[in-house]
Amino acid sequence: MSGSAGILHVTDGGLQTTVQDYPGRPGMLAQGFYPAGAMDHLALRAVNLVVGNPLGTAALEITLGGVGFRPDRAATVCVGGATAPVTVDGEEVELWTSHRVPAGSEIRVGIAEGPGFRQYLAVAGGIAVPELFGSRSTYTMGALGGHEGRGLVSGDELPLGAETDAAAGRRLAAGARPEHARDWQIEAVRGPQATPDFLTEEDMDTLFGRWWTVDPNSNRTGIRLESHKFDWARSSGGIAGGHPSNILDNPYAVGSINVNGDLPVILGPDGPTAGGFVVAATIAHGAFWKVGQLRPVGDRIRFREVSVEDAIEIDNELTGRLTEASIESV
Amino acid sequence: MAAKTIKSPYPGTFYRRSSPEAEPYVSEGDEIEAGQVVGLVEIMKNFHEIKSDEAGRVVSVLLENEALIEAGQDVIELG
Repeated sequence: MSGSAGILHVTDGGLQTTVQDYPGRPGMLAQGFYPAGAMDHLALRAVNLVVGNPLGTAALEITLGGVGFRPDRAATVCVGGATAPVTVDGEEVELWTSHRVPAGSEIRVGIAEGPGFRQYLAVAGGIAVPELFGSRSTYTMGALGGHEGRGLVSGDELPLGAETDAAAGRRLAAGARPEHARDWQIEAVRGPQATPDFLTEEDMDTLFGRWWTVDPNSNRTGIRLESHKFDWARSSGGIAGGHPSNILDNPYAVGSINVNGDLPVILGPDGPTAGGFVVAATIAHGAFWKVGQLRPVGDRIRFREVSVEDAIEIDNELTGRLTEASIESV
Repeated sequence: MAAKTIKSPYPGTFYRRSSPEAEPYVSEGDEIEAGQVVGLVEIMKNFHEIKSDEAGRVVSVLLENEALIEAGQDVIELG
Protein backbone atom coordinates (compact mmCIF):
# COMPACT_ATOMS: atom_id res chain seq x y z
CA MET A 1 0.00 0.00 0.00
CA SER A 2 1.35 3.41 -0.81
CA GLY A 3 -0.22 6.78 -0.28
CA SER A 4 0.51 10.39 0.40
CA ALA A 5 3.51 10.53 2.60
CA GLY A 6 1.92 12.70 5.28
CA ILE A 7 3.00 14.71 8.28
CA LEU A 8 3.58 13.81 11.92
CA HIS A 9 2.62 16.72 14.16
CA VAL A 10 4.45 17.05 17.46
CA THR A 11 2.00 17.94 20.24
CA ASP A 12 4.51 17.58 23.09
CA GLY A 13 8.28 17.18 22.69
CA GLY A 14 9.12 16.35 26.32
CA LEU A 15 12.62 16.42 27.77
CA GLN A 16 14.45 15.57 24.52
CA THR A 17 12.98 13.89 21.46
CA THR A 18 15.20 13.65 18.39
CA VAL A 19 15.05 12.04 14.97
CA GLN A 20 17.61 9.21 14.91
CA ASP A 21 18.47 6.41 12.55
CA TYR A 22 21.15 3.73 12.59
CA PRO A 23 24.10 3.69 12.24
CA GLY A 24 24.08 7.46 11.82
CA ARG A 25 27.18 8.90 10.10
CA PRO A 26 30.09 6.59 10.80
CA GLY A 27 33.42 7.25 9.12
CA MET A 28 33.31 11.03 9.36
CA LEU A 29 35.53 11.72 12.36
CA ALA A 30 38.07 13.47 10.15
CA GLN A 31 35.33 15.90 9.11
CA GLY A 32 34.45 16.56 12.75
CA PHE A 33 31.32 14.41 12.89
CA TYR A 34 30.70 11.88 15.58
CA PRO A 35 28.14 9.43 14.17
CA ALA A 36 25.01 10.46 16.13
CA GLY A 37 22.27 7.81 15.64
CA ALA A 38 20.13 5.98 18.18
CA MET A 39 21.66 5.61 21.64
CA ASP A 40 19.74 2.37 22.12
CA HIS A 41 20.44 0.87 18.72
CA LEU A 42 18.75 -2.38 19.71
CA ALA A 43 15.38 -0.74 20.47
CA LEU A 44 15.50 1.47 17.36
CA ARG A 45 16.14 -1.51 15.10
CA ALA A 46 13.55 -3.63 16.91
CA VAL A 47 10.68 -1.13 16.50
CA ASN A 48 11.57 -0.74 12.83
CA LEU A 49 11.52 -4.52 12.44
CA VAL A 50 8.06 -4.66 14.02
CA VAL A 51 6.54 -2.05 11.65
CA GLY A 52 8.23 -3.63 8.61
CA ASN A 53 10.82 -0.90 7.94
CA PRO A 54 14.47 -1.49 7.07
CA LEU A 55 16.11 -1.76 10.51
CA GLY A 56 18.08 1.48 10.35
CA THR A 57 15.13 3.69 9.29
CA ALA A 58 14.81 7.10 10.97
CA ALA A 59 12.47 7.04 13.97
CA LEU A 60 11.99 9.15 17.09
CA GLU A 61 14.21 8.77 20.12
CA ILE A 62 12.23 9.86 23.19
CA THR A 63 13.92 10.64 26.51
CA LEU A 64 11.93 9.70 29.64
CA GLY A 65 8.55 10.09 27.87
CA GLY A 66 5.80 12.63 28.41
CA VAL A 67 5.41 13.26 24.67
CA GLY A 68 2.64 13.34 22.05
CA PHE A 69 2.37 13.05 18.26
CA ARG A 70 -0.48 13.29 15.76
CA PRO A 71 -0.13 11.86 12.24
CA ASP A 72 -2.29 13.51 9.55
CA ARG A 73 -2.77 10.17 7.82
CA ALA A 74 -3.46 6.67 9.04
CA ALA A 75 -0.17 5.15 10.15
CA THR A 76 1.35 1.95 11.46
CA VAL A 77 3.43 2.64 14.55
CA CYS A 78 5.37 0.80 17.24
CA VAL A 79 6.87 2.08 20.51
CA GLY A 80 9.59 0.13 22.30
CA GLY A 81 12.30 0.77 24.87
CA ALA A 82 11.82 1.86 28.49
CA THR A 83 8.43 0.73 29.75
CA ALA A 84 5.87 3.54 29.88
CA PRO A 85 2.13 3.79 29.23
CA VAL A 86 1.49 4.31 25.50
CA THR A 87 -1.96 5.48 24.39
CA VAL A 88 -3.72 6.15 21.09
CA ASP A 89 -6.56 8.64 21.67
CA GLY A 90 -6.46 7.68 25.34
CA GLU A 91 -6.66 3.91 24.77
CA GLU A 92 -3.65 2.07 26.14
CA VAL A 93 -1.75 -0.05 23.60
CA GLU A 94 1.05 -2.59 23.97
CA LEU A 95 4.72 -1.76 23.63
CA TRP A 96 6.89 -3.60 21.08
CA THR A 97 3.73 -4.12 19.00
CA SER A 98 2.63 -2.49 15.75
CA HIS A 99 -0.69 -0.66 15.76
CA ARG A 100 -2.71 0.90 12.95
CA VAL A 101 -3.69 4.39 14.12
CA PRO A 102 -6.24 6.59 12.33
CA ALA A 103 -5.46 9.94 10.71
CA GLY A 104 -5.61 12.70 13.33
CA SER A 105 -5.28 10.42 16.35
CA GLU A 106 -2.93 11.34 19.15
CA ILE A 107 -0.19 8.92 20.14
CA ARG A 108 1.10 9.62 23.64
CA VAL A 109 4.01 8.06 25.46
CA GLY A 110 3.83 8.58 29.23
CA ILE A 111 6.67 8.90 31.70
CA ALA A 112 9.00 5.90 32.09
CA GLU A 113 9.34 5.32 35.80
CA GLY A 114 12.30 3.02 35.29
CA PRO A 115 14.12 0.89 34.73
CA GLY A 116 15.16 2.36 31.40
CA PHE A 117 15.19 5.93 30.11
CA ARG A 118 14.46 6.09 26.37
CA GLN A 119 11.68 4.97 24.05
CA TYR A 120 11.67 4.70 20.26
CA LEU A 121 8.65 5.40 18.09
CA ALA A 122 8.83 3.95 14.59
CA VAL A 123 6.32 4.81 11.88
CA ALA A 124 6.02 2.54 8.84
CA GLY A 125 7.64 4.52 6.02
CA GLY A 126 9.98 6.30 8.43
CA ILE A 127 10.53 9.90 9.46
CA ALA A 128 11.47 11.56 6.18
CA VAL A 129 13.47 14.61 7.28
CA PRO A 130 16.19 15.44 4.73
CA GLU A 131 19.33 13.32 4.80
CA LEU A 132 22.58 15.01 5.75
CA PHE A 133 25.69 13.10 4.65
CA GLY A 134 23.69 9.90 4.28
CA SER A 135 21.79 9.99 7.57
CA ARG A 136 18.70 11.59 9.10
CA SER A 137 20.10 11.45 12.64
CA THR A 138 20.21 14.52 14.84
CA TYR A 139 23.74 15.39 15.97
CA THR A 140 22.91 17.48 19.03
CA MET A 141 26.44 18.76 19.69
CA GLY A 142 26.76 20.06 16.12
CA ALA A 143 23.08 21.13 15.91
CA LEU A 144 22.90 19.30 12.57
CA GLY A 145 20.69 16.70 10.94
CA GLY A 146 17.29 15.50 12.12
CA HIS A 147 14.69 18.25 12.38
CA GLU A 148 16.58 21.57 12.32
CA GLY A 149 19.42 19.93 14.25
CA ARG A 150 17.52 20.01 17.52
CA GLY A 151 15.10 18.29 19.86
CA LEU A 152 11.43 18.46 18.92
CA VAL A 153 8.97 20.92 20.42
CA SER A 154 5.22 21.25 20.29
CA GLY A 155 4.14 22.54 16.87
CA ASP A 156 6.93 20.89 14.87
CA GLU A 157 5.85 19.06 11.72
CA LEU A 158 7.83 16.05 10.54
CA PRO A 159 7.50 14.65 7.01
CA LEU A 160 6.60 10.96 6.93
CA GLY A 161 7.86 8.55 4.30
CA ALA A 162 5.39 6.67 2.12
CA GLU A 163 4.30 3.30 3.48
CA THR A 164 5.20 0.40 1.28
CA ASP A 165 3.62 -2.30 3.42
CA ALA A 166 1.09 -2.15 6.23
CA ALA A 167 2.50 -4.25 9.05
CA ALA A 168 0.06 -3.83 11.96
CA GLY A 169 -0.58 -6.66 14.40
CA ARG A 170 3.03 -7.77 14.77
CA ARG A 171 5.05 -7.86 17.94
CA LEU A 172 8.53 -8.60 19.15
CA ALA A 173 8.50 -11.98 20.92
CA ALA A 174 9.05 -11.76 24.68
CA GLY A 175 12.34 -13.65 24.43
CA ALA A 176 13.76 -11.12 21.96
CA ARG A 177 13.01 -8.06 24.09
CA PRO A 178 15.85 -6.39 25.97
CA GLU A 179 15.97 -6.59 29.74
CA HIS A 180 16.31 -3.33 31.60
CA ALA A 181 17.68 -2.83 35.12
CA ARG A 182 18.77 -0.14 37.59
CA ASP A 183 22.09 -1.96 38.08
CA TRP A 184 23.59 -2.70 34.69
CA GLN A 185 26.35 -5.01 33.59
CA ILE A 186 27.96 -3.57 30.46
CA GLU A 187 30.58 -5.43 28.44
CA ALA A 188 33.77 -3.53 27.62
CA VAL A 189 37.14 -4.23 26.02
CA ARG A 190 40.34 -3.07 27.75
CA GLY A 191 42.16 -0.10 26.23
CA PRO A 192 43.36 1.42 23.95
CA GLN A 193 45.21 3.20 26.80
CA ALA A 194 45.32 0.82 29.75
CA THR A 195 48.12 -1.28 31.27
CA PRO A 196 51.08 -1.19 31.45
CA ASP A 197 51.81 2.29 30.10
CA PHE A 198 48.95 4.32 31.54
CA LEU A 199 47.11 2.53 34.34
CA THR A 200 48.08 -0.14 36.84
CA GLU A 201 46.57 -3.64 37.04
CA GLU A 202 44.91 -2.52 40.29
CA ASP A 203 43.37 0.45 38.50
CA MET A 204 41.93 -1.89 35.88
CA ASP A 205 40.63 -4.19 38.61
CA THR A 206 38.86 -1.18 40.09
CA LEU A 207 37.47 -0.09 36.72
CA PHE A 208 36.03 -3.55 36.06
CA GLY A 209 35.30 -4.40 39.69
CA ARG A 210 33.33 -1.60 41.29
CA TRP A 211 29.89 -0.15 40.75
CA TRP A 212 29.86 3.25 39.03
CA THR A 213 26.91 5.59 39.55
CA VAL A 214 25.57 7.55 36.57
CA ASP A 215 25.60 11.34 37.09
CA PRO A 216 22.45 13.39 36.30
CA ASN A 217 24.47 15.52 33.89
CA SER A 218 24.70 12.73 31.35
CA ASN A 219 23.27 13.02 27.86
CA ARG A 220 23.83 11.93 24.25
CA THR A 221 27.30 13.52 24.35
CA GLY A 222 28.57 11.60 27.34
CA ILE A 223 27.60 9.61 30.39
CA ARG A 224 29.42 11.00 33.39
CA LEU A 225 30.35 8.59 36.13
CA GLU A 226 31.88 9.64 39.44
CA SER A 227 35.32 10.90 40.35
CA HIS A 228 37.86 8.30 41.34
CA LYS A 229 41.58 8.70 42.11
CA PHE A 230 43.35 6.08 40.03
CA ASP A 231 46.94 5.15 40.98
CA TRP A 232 48.22 5.56 37.38
CA ALA A 233 51.29 3.80 36.04
CA ARG A 234 53.10 7.09 35.43
CA SER A 235 53.44 10.39 37.23
CA SER A 236 52.40 12.76 34.43
CA GLY A 237 51.37 12.95 30.80
CA GLY A 238 54.80 14.30 29.86
CA ILE A 239 54.65 16.69 26.91
CA ALA A 240 50.88 16.08 26.69
CA GLY A 241 50.17 17.57 30.11
CA GLY A 242 50.76 17.43 33.82
CA HIS A 243 48.06 14.93 34.75
CA PRO A 244 48.74 11.25 33.98
CA SER A 245 45.41 11.06 32.13
CA ASN A 246 46.74 13.52 29.51
CA ILE A 247 47.85 12.11 26.15
CA LEU A 248 48.51 13.72 22.79
CA ASP A 249 45.18 14.23 21.04
CA ASN A 250 43.86 11.12 19.32
CA PRO A 251 40.50 10.04 17.87
CA TYR A 252 37.89 8.55 20.20
CA ALA A 253 35.61 5.59 19.51
CA VAL A 254 31.92 5.73 20.47
CA GLY A 255 31.62 4.01 23.83
CA SER A 256 35.09 5.04 24.99
CA ILE A 257 35.46 5.08 28.77
CA ASN A 258 37.40 8.32 28.73
CA VAL A 259 39.23 9.15 31.95
CA ASN A 260 39.21 12.92 32.10
CA GLY A 261 41.51 13.72 35.00
CA ASP A 262 39.87 11.67 37.74
CA LEU A 263 36.45 11.53 36.07
CA PRO A 264 35.49 8.61 33.82
CA VAL A 265 33.00 9.56 31.09
CA ILE A 266 31.44 7.19 28.55
CA LEU A 267 31.43 8.95 25.19
CA GLY A 268 27.99 8.89 23.60
CA PRO A 269 27.05 9.04 19.89
CA ASP A 270 27.11 12.87 19.88
CA GLY A 271 30.45 13.07 21.68
CA PRO A 272 33.77 14.65 20.71
CA THR A 273 35.63 13.14 17.75
CA ALA A 274 39.05 13.51 19.35
CA GLY A 275 40.79 14.62 22.49
CA GLY A 276 43.73 14.26 24.81
CA PHE A 277 42.62 11.96 27.62
CA VAL A 278 43.24 8.29 28.24
CA VAL A 279 40.58 5.78 27.15
CA ALA A 280 40.90 2.97 29.68
CA ALA A 281 38.32 0.70 28.07
CA THR A 282 35.79 0.72 25.24
CA ILE A 283 32.22 -0.55 25.46
CA ALA A 284 31.44 -3.42 23.10
CA HIS A 285 29.28 -2.09 20.27
CA GLY A 286 26.74 -4.85 20.83
CA ALA A 287 26.39 -3.74 24.48
CA PHE A 288 26.29 -0.01 23.77
CA TRP A 289 22.47 0.00 23.54
CA LYS A 290 22.41 -0.32 27.35
CA VAL A 291 24.07 3.10 27.61
CA GLY A 292 20.96 4.55 25.96
CA GLN A 293 18.82 3.14 28.75
CA LEU A 294 20.89 4.39 31.70
CA ARG A 295 18.70 6.46 33.95
CA PRO A 296 20.83 9.35 35.20
CA VAL A 297 19.31 9.33 38.67
CA GLY A 298 21.00 6.54 40.55
CA ASP A 299 21.52 3.82 37.93
CA ARG A 300 24.75 1.93 38.46
CA ILE A 301 27.11 0.22 36.03
CA ARG A 302 29.56 -2.57 36.40
CA PHE A 303 31.83 -3.05 33.39
CA ARG A 304 32.47 -6.67 32.49
CA GLU A 305 35.77 -7.17 30.69
CA VAL A 306 35.46 -9.05 27.42
CA SER A 307 37.85 -9.83 24.59
CA VAL A 308 37.50 -8.40 21.08
CA GLU A 309 36.28 -11.85 19.98
CA ASP A 310 33.59 -11.80 22.71
CA ALA A 311 32.57 -8.30 21.64
CA ILE A 312 32.08 -9.48 18.06
CA GLU A 313 30.03 -12.42 19.37
CA ILE A 314 27.80 -10.06 21.40
CA ASP A 315 27.15 -7.98 18.28
CA ASN A 316 26.43 -11.08 16.21
CA GLU A 317 23.91 -12.27 18.81
CA LEU A 318 22.13 -8.91 18.59
CA THR A 319 22.06 -8.93 14.80
CA GLY A 320 20.77 -12.49 14.87
CA ARG A 321 17.97 -11.50 17.19
CA LEU A 322 16.76 -8.69 14.91
CA THR A 323 15.14 -10.92 12.30
CA GLU A 324 11.65 -12.11 11.34
CA ALA A 325 12.19 -15.14 13.58
CA SER A 326 11.69 -12.79 16.55
CA ILE A 327 8.32 -11.52 15.28
CA GLU A 328 4.98 -13.03 16.18
CA SER A 329 1.42 -12.13 15.17
CA VAL A 330 -0.83 -10.56 17.78
CA MET B 1 -2.62 12.20 53.86
CA ALA B 2 -4.37 13.80 50.91
CA ALA B 3 -2.30 16.97 50.88
CA LYS B 4 -1.87 18.82 47.60
CA THR B 5 1.65 18.62 46.31
CA ILE B 6 3.73 20.11 43.53
CA LYS B 7 5.62 17.44 41.62
CA SER B 8 8.77 17.63 39.53
CA PRO B 9 8.11 16.86 35.86
CA TYR B 10 11.61 15.47 35.39
CA PRO B 11 14.18 13.45 37.33
CA GLY B 12 17.47 15.06 38.28
CA THR B 13 19.00 17.36 40.89
CA PHE B 14 16.57 19.64 42.74
CA TYR B 15 17.47 23.27 43.51
CA ARG B 16 15.53 25.63 45.72
CA ARG B 17 17.12 28.79 44.30
CA SER B 18 18.16 30.15 40.91
CA SER B 19 21.80 30.58 41.95
CA PRO B 20 23.82 29.89 45.09
CA GLU B 21 23.49 33.56 46.14
CA ALA B 22 19.77 33.95 45.40
CA GLU B 23 16.92 33.71 47.88
CA PRO B 24 14.93 30.47 47.71
CA TYR B 25 12.06 30.56 45.19
CA VAL B 26 9.63 29.77 48.01
CA SER B 27 9.74 29.15 51.74
CA GLU B 28 7.30 27.69 54.19
CA GLY B 29 4.32 29.98 54.76
CA ASP B 30 4.60 31.76 51.37
CA GLU B 31 1.42 32.35 49.42
CA ILE B 32 2.02 31.34 45.79
CA GLU B 33 0.13 31.80 42.55
CA ALA B 34 -0.70 29.31 39.83
CA GLY B 35 2.21 29.14 37.37
CA GLN B 36 4.76 30.39 39.89
CA VAL B 37 8.24 28.85 39.77
CA VAL B 38 8.98 26.97 42.99
CA GLY B 39 12.28 25.27 42.14
CA LEU B 40 14.60 23.97 39.44
CA VAL B 41 15.50 20.47 38.34
CA GLU B 42 18.80 19.92 36.55
CA ILE B 43 19.05 16.99 34.17
CA MET B 44 21.21 16.32 31.10
CA LYS B 45 23.04 19.65 31.58
CA ASN B 46 19.81 21.66 31.40
CA PHE B 47 17.76 23.41 34.07
CA HIS B 48 13.98 23.11 34.03
CA GLU B 49 11.60 25.19 36.12
CA ILE B 50 9.20 23.44 38.45
CA LYS B 51 5.92 25.40 38.50
CA SER B 52 2.81 25.17 40.61
CA ASP B 53 -0.42 24.28 38.82
CA GLU B 54 -2.47 26.13 41.40
CA ALA B 55 -2.43 28.89 44.02
CA GLY B 56 -1.95 28.06 47.67
CA ARG B 57 0.23 28.35 50.73
CA VAL B 58 3.50 26.47 51.03
CA VAL B 59 3.13 24.11 53.98
CA SER B 60 6.42 22.35 53.52
CA VAL B 61 9.37 22.11 51.14
CA LEU B 62 9.81 18.34 51.12
CA LEU B 63 13.39 18.13 49.84
CA GLU B 64 16.82 19.43 50.68
CA ASN B 65 18.60 21.60 48.14
CA GLU B 66 20.51 19.41 45.61
CA ALA B 67 18.48 16.30 46.44
CA LEU B 68 18.35 13.68 43.67
CA ILE B 69 14.72 13.31 42.60
CA GLU B 70 12.66 11.12 40.31
CA ALA B 71 10.11 12.23 37.72
CA GLY B 72 6.78 12.89 39.40
CA GLN B 73 8.28 13.11 42.89
CA ASP B 74 6.57 15.46 45.38
CA VAL B 75 8.63 18.59 45.91
CA ILE B 76 6.36 20.94 47.85
CA GLU B 77 3.26 20.44 49.96
CA LEU B 78 0.56 23.07 49.55
CA GLY B 79 -2.15 23.96 52.06
